[in-house]
This record gives sequence, C-alpha cells and structure tokens, in this order.
Amino acid sequence: MRITRKAAGAAAATVTLAMALTACGNGGEPAEPGSAEELSTEDDITISLAWWGDDDRAAKYEEAVDLFEKAHPNVTVQTQFQAWDDYWTARATEAAGKALPDVVQMDLSYLRQYGGTGQLLDLSGQVDVNLDVAGLDEALLSSGQIDGAQYGIPTSTNTLALFYNADVLADLGIDPPAEGYTWDDYNAWVEEVSAKGAGGEPAIYGSADYTGTFWFFLQWLIQQGVDPFSADGQLNFDQAQMAEWLNSGQNLRDGEAFFPIARTKQIEPLGGFTVSEAASEASWDNFLAGYVAETEQDIQMLPMPSGDNGPQQFYKPSMLLSASASTEQPAAAAALVDFLINDPQVGTIFGTSKGVPAVAAQRDAMNVEPGSIDEQVVGFEEQVADIVTEPAPVPVEGFGEIEAEFKRLSEELQYGNVSVDDFVSQWFTFADDAVGSE
Amino acid sequence: MTLDGSAAEAGTARGTDAPSPARGRKASRRGDVRAGYAFLSPWLLGFVALTAFPMVASLYLAFTDYDLFRPPSWVGLENFVDLFHDPRFWASAKVTAIYVVVGTPIKLAAALAVAMLLNMKHRGQGAYRSIFYAPSLIGASVSIAIVWKAMFIDDGIVDRIAQFFGAEPGGWVGDPSKTMPMFVLLAVWTFGAPMVIFLAGLKQVPTELYEAAAVDGAGPVRKFFRITIPMLSPVLFFNLLLETIGAFQVFASAFIISGGTGGPADSTLFYTLYLYIKGFTQFDMGYASAMAWVLVVVVGVITAILFKTSNAWVHYSGDNR
Repeated sequence: MRITRKAAGAAAATVTLAMALTACGNGGEPAEPGSAEELSTEDDITISLAWWGDDDRAAKYEEAVDLFEKAHPNVTVQTQFQAWDDYWTARATEAAGKALPDVVQMDLSYLRQYGGTGQLLDLSGQVDVNLDVAGLDEALLSSGQIDGAQYGIPTSTNTLALFYNADVLADLGIDPPAEGYTWDDYNAWVEEVSAKGAGGEPAIYGSADYTGTFWFFLQWLIQQGVDPFSADGQLNFDQAQMAEWLNSGQNLRDGEAFFPIARTKQIEPLGGFTVSEAASEASWDNFLAGYVAETEQDIQMLPMPSGDNGPQQFYKPSMLLSASASTEQPAAAAALVDFLINDPQVGTIFGTSKGVPAVAAQRDAMNVEPGSIDEQVVGFEEQVADIVTEPAPVPVEGFGEIEAEFKRLSEELQYGNVSVDDFVSQWFTFADDAVGSE
Repeated sequence: MTLDGSAAEAGTARGTDAPSPARGRKASRRGDVRAGYAFLSPWLLGFVALTAFPMVASLYLAFTDYDLFRPPSWVGLENFVDLFHDPRFWASAKVTAIYVVVGTPIKLAAALAVAMLLNMKHRGQGAYRSIFYAPSLIGASVSIAIVWKAMFIDDGIVDRIAQFFGAEPGGWVGDPSKTMPMFVLLAVWTFGAPMVIFLAGLKQVPTELYEAAAVDGAGPVRKFFRITIPMLSPVLFFNLLLETIGAFQVFASAFIISGGTGGPADSTLFYTLYLYIKGFTQFDMGYASAMAWVLVVVVGVITAILFKTSNAWVHYSGDNR
C-alpha cells in the first residue's frame, strides 16, 4: 500500500514538475513601458540578491545594500555570492527549479541563455515607475535587450586593454610597445622580451599565449570589419579566419616565446602576469585594480594592437543586473536595480571595480584621486574613446560554453597535442552543437 | 496494496481449514510485516526520493535534450550516438581505464604488503594499524587534494626531492605525462580500507598450515604463494571488486587538483569529472545522464566478468577441491 501510494506521489510530482517546466517557454510579448505598479512603502518585503566576485566586492555590495535598506525601510535584501564558476552552476540549478534570486548580477555571455528562455523579467514595464534608465546611453541600454525585451540593465562598461608591467620592463631595459603598434609588432615585442628575459631567475616572458582567449579573437575579427555574430544569433566567421588568428602565434609557440602552459596550469588561478613573470597581458580595463593588488608593481595600460584596418575597439557592458521572471516582488527588484545603477553613493563605493559606471551621476561621484587606480582606468577609457567605434558583439546563446572550449583547445594546442587545424575543426564541431542548441 | 493484500488473503484462505492457534500466528505475523514496513519507512522514503526516483528520472533524461532552462525534449538514442563520436568521452574513458587498471592492483599490493607487516607479532602493533589506516579516513577529502597539489607543483617538496636526485626541475601538476602517477600515488596512499580487510583475512589463516609447510621445508616465498594467497583469495576477490568499482568513481581529488577542468590537456579528465562538466558546466543534462548510464553498464559488465573469472582462482574453505 505504502509503496504504491508513494509511487503515485512520485508520478504526480513528475507531472507537476513537467508542467511547471513546460510553462516556462519564451516570455511572450515585451511588457508595456510604465505598466508596473509602484513599490509599496507599507508592506514588509524581502527580496534576494546574488552576484559573483571576491570578498572585496562582497563588502562593497553589502555597503550598497545597507544604503538601499535605509532608503526603503520596509524592504529587506538577502544577499549571497559565489566565485564565477560556482555562481553559474548555482544559478542554472535554481533556474531549473524556477527559484532564481529576485535580482541577479548578469553577464553578457549568459544573457541570451537566461533571457531567451523566459527566466528573466522584462524590465521595460518598470521603466519610469520604479526604474530610471534615463542616465544610460541608448546603445548601451540596448545591449541588455533581446527582441525588444529589457532583460538586463548594464551597470558599467569596460573595453580591452593591454597591460604591461613597467617595473619588469625597466629591469630588462625594454620599452613598452610604441603607440599605433600592430598585432605583428606586438608579436615581435613579445619575442624580444622573452629572448632577453630567458636567462633570468625566474625567466621573464613577453606574454602568455593570448591567441587562446576567445574575446581577443573577436576583437581581432572586429578590426577586420567582421561582426562575429549575426543578428539571428549565429556564428558569422569561418574556419579560415580562426586558423589565421591561431597561426599568427605559431612562430612564438614553436620558439617557446610564450609563458609556458605547464607553469600556468600550476599557478592557477594566478597567471604569468600576476606573478610578474610575464611582462604583458591583455584583458578588460577594470582588471587594473586586481593586477596592481596581485603584483604590487607599476602596471600601465595601452590600447589593444591594431589590425589591418585600424585599431577599432568596443565598449562592452562589464556586467548587468537582471530580475527573475518568477519574482513575487517585481517592484522591489526593479527599485534595487535602480538604486544600484543610479545612486551616486553606490558609485563612490564601487569605483571602477565593476568597470566604469554607466550612469554619469555615479561616474562623477567616484573619488578619482590623482594617481589612483580609478583615475588610471577612467583616463584610459577617455584615451581610447576615439578608437572605440564599434558596437559590442551580442554573444550568441551558448557563448559561455564555446568560450570555455576555445580556452581548453588552446591549452591542448600549447601542449602540442593538437594542431591549429585540429583545433579549428574540433571547435566548430562543438560550436555547431552548442550555439542556440534547441 | 499488493504485498499486504495478498498476504492477508492468503492468511484468510488458509485460515478456514487451519486450526485456530495457527490463525493467531498468522495474524501476529501480519502485524510483524506491518511493523517491519513501519520501521523500514524512513529508509524507504529516503531510497525512493533520493535514489530510486532520481535514477528513473536520469534514465528518462538520458534519452532527452535537457539544458535545465527548457523542458526536456525526447531525442531517442542521439545522446548515446554522440557519445561514441565525442573525442573527449574517449579521452575520459581512457584516463579512467588507466587509473583503474594500473592504480587498483598497486593499491591492493600495497594494502596486502602492509597488512602482512602488521600481522607480525610486534610491540605496539595496534598503534601502527591506526597510523596506517589514517590516510584512508582523509584521503578522499578536499583538503588532502589541496595538499597533494601543493606537494607536486613547481618547487614543491616532490619536485625538490626529485631535483636532489638529479631529475629535471618541474612540477607534476602542469605536466600531462606526470599527472596520472600523481593520482595513482594518492590512491595507493589511501590503502587503509582494503588493508584492514586483508588483516582480518590473514588472522583467519590457520597457523598449522604454515607450520606443516615449514616442516616440509617450504620457504617464505613458497608459503606466500601456496598458502597465504589461496587462503586469502575470497578476501582478495572482495577487495578487488570494491576497489575496482571505487576507482571508476573517483571524482573529488581530480576536481580539486585540476580546478574542475580535467586539465592539463585533459590528462586528469576522469569519467565522472567529464560527466560533471557536461551536466553542470555545459548544462547538457541529457548527455550527462547518458554518460551515467553507460558507466553503470560498464561497471556492471566488469563486475560480472570478475565474478566469472573468480570461479577459477577464488577458493572458499569447505569447497571440495
């Protein structure tokens, strides 16, 4: 008797679960702007907030949340955070159970996965009610939209930069790459540094194998005038282009001029640059604070190398804030997003640690002291403003997976286990399956 | 319904022509059955909710495309077909097979050797036994995986000792050809569980056999192969079975040491780790479920083969041979 009833219960649970899951198809029509209700000032409301990051970011968020709770005394915010990998594992599991936190920090590479599958709230309805987006640049705001629905609000922007360790270069007696340098110039420079640094204890290299970073490949494509992803969310580049990119570093791989992969694997999560054994590393410009903290050296920034058609770069929303489609408190969730992107004090708290704030009021509120990291980052973005001419590529669904596969295959390439051609064909096989897998 | 009901029916049907004391006994037996199920219920509940149901669900998911975000969609055998065309699946199968085939015998040999040492009459044997067992208690833990990594990296203690003996500098963690020996060493180091079982088995071997063999002039080697091994074969078989199955399931240490990637260059991509990556990093739950069932079948087949061969080499005392 008991067994049978339990089996029936399990079957019922399965059906309910399946129904719940089928109910989460695509979100339907975009919400009417301003259609939402205003946040109550009476009811006791509790919402949850999740982000990825380190302890330093956590302290900043807690400070910002305290200010929000002071401004909205009837709202309590429960916070949680994880490191990047664990963050996405936790969010995916919650999404399957329709239990995402009310407000989540979102990355551009996952926006399609969550927004396109009905997990996120279309915030258009909250605009001008609980959420003010007037301070955001139109193009930037649109990077948080899919098919007209506003699934994420960009908090800040970043762009790629080449970081170099001025102290290490001074020791070697080598100048940083000259202004207007090309990818070829950069390769020659890396070889020069690695050759001169070879005898040192420890040996100094010019750079790790940067061709293994998917975003740099995209940056290079954009400089060729190629938009990496088509409007309907498919790949817009071919195998020959990827092979050309990877082959551009083959001489350096063969000549062992890149920071050795075996060493990289051992010092993870640090890298050659953060242990001051590689003289340069390209990355997002808001990484400066982390680099300075890790190396405790003089770290300077340059624009990325130029391509055949020029130095075109792009601003990318460094992160977005999204609300869960299943939130019971959409008004409070929107109000929290509004507070985090607009409040000047929040701008003071975060500085450029999440990227340069998207809203002018927050930018102006930063304590940009002369010689500070924030000043360096803001100065860099002003310096490159002229060459930031391209829109950020809109990552396809499955971007996180194809990016990780690119990195993995690059490691195989650096170990010499695969050739460039193997790399390209394996990656495209994987991507065919992963991109917009339905 | 079926279990209780049929038992009750059988009771009454037989009860009509049975004498009354038997009927009373039946009734109390029925009560026992109920009590039995009542006492079983916590376990049953856990088994159904946490083991049986998820297993059935994963069997279903193995035939679907399921990314956690959309409802699963039926794809038939596609996951299994893809599996056999996936180079990383084969890479993970190879890594696991090497680990099982190389690691398990070495671990068992080490366990048996230490068990024999600990079986000698010595002062303080109890203390030694505890000391040798200790690594097994902590070997599967996260902290040991971290310590292991620290020992084997560049300029770690192992690297320094190897350099002292003239080896090329360089840690094992970043070198794809040296990661497997590192994992085998970790496995061998945690020989405690089979060791304790071997020790119990050794204590069961009658000393008269050794005495008789000694009288007939057998040396220690001959005694070991002609008496110890045959007498110990049921225990050896039991350990071989458990350790083989356990080796297929190694996960935590690989996850920690490779940072969840199976790197460098997939040299530590154990089967379970790839399964995890597929399911929880790439959100391909259907594929991961298919992998899980392939593992179940493979372990089942290997266990069956071991049982078959055991007829030839396992001697149970009391056998007529």
